[in-house]
Amino acid sequence: MAEKLEDLNLPLTVVTRIVKEALPDGVSISKEARTGLAKAASVFVLYVTSAATNIVKNNKRKALTGQDVLEAMSDIEFDRFVDSLREALELYKQAVSAKKLASGKKKDEGEDVEMVEDE
Amino acid sequence: MSTPKAEKDLHLPLSRVKTIMKSSPEVDAVGPEPLYLVTKVTELFVTDLAKRAFKNSKNNFLEYKHIAEVVQEDDTLDFLREIMPRKITVRQFKELMAKKSSRGDESDETSEESSEEESSEDSSSSNNAETQNS
Repeated sequence: MAEKLEDLNLPLTVVTRIVKEALPDGVSISKEARTGLAKAASVFVLYVTSAATNIVKNNKRKALTGQDVLEAMSDIEFDRFVDSLREALELYKQAVSAKKLASGKKKDEGEDVEMVEDE
Repeated sequence: MSTPKAEKDLHLPLSRVKTIMKSSPEVDAVGPEPLYLVTKVTELFVTDLAKRAFKNSKNNFLEYKHIAEVVQEDDTLDFLREIMPRKITVRQFKELMAKKSSRGDESDETSEESSEEESSEDSSSSNNAETQNS
């Protein structure tokens, strides 16, 4: 795997934006706090991934599913996020079907459409 | 593209999150749905941690130590303890080591690293050492 170290970090500007949206207007955030949160977020990604992967392996499957991620949240004691996550998943699934529907319609109209998976 | 992306509510870049996930040894394929959820929950996590840390802060100024405090005091954040230790001054560190050696404590659980602190970070001393509080 040829990852550069910075590829395992989340962009600081994006993390800052998330933090600013979470806090009241006019709050200053030190650079160290921002980089700390960015690092914490990266580690959290690994932590969730690892917990979800354990579930996959225990069920003798290979591919990670959305359900595995949801279950992992309970395993790592982050149940408090599960409701928001389920809601978000519903909206996401609806958006994905709407997209597929729209692409399908275009195809029927005889246009050349390339279906690209958002990855 | 006329239809908006399904992931339009996300800030974090999916490709980067995917790279991080795939750096984990046992991960095979990461499809779009689990990728979306991991990205989404990470954003929820950052939001949550920032809000909790902010409660520890004063004067509308959020600093590293406010986050470290939350991490050290919440067991569900144990996985972060090594990367977000509380930071202490060199003097405090020396006092800590002196106490340990006088107790005949041979285990060395502390690590000393000096960090580059911005001068606005710490009003007391400009030399800081990182230590594990366990």
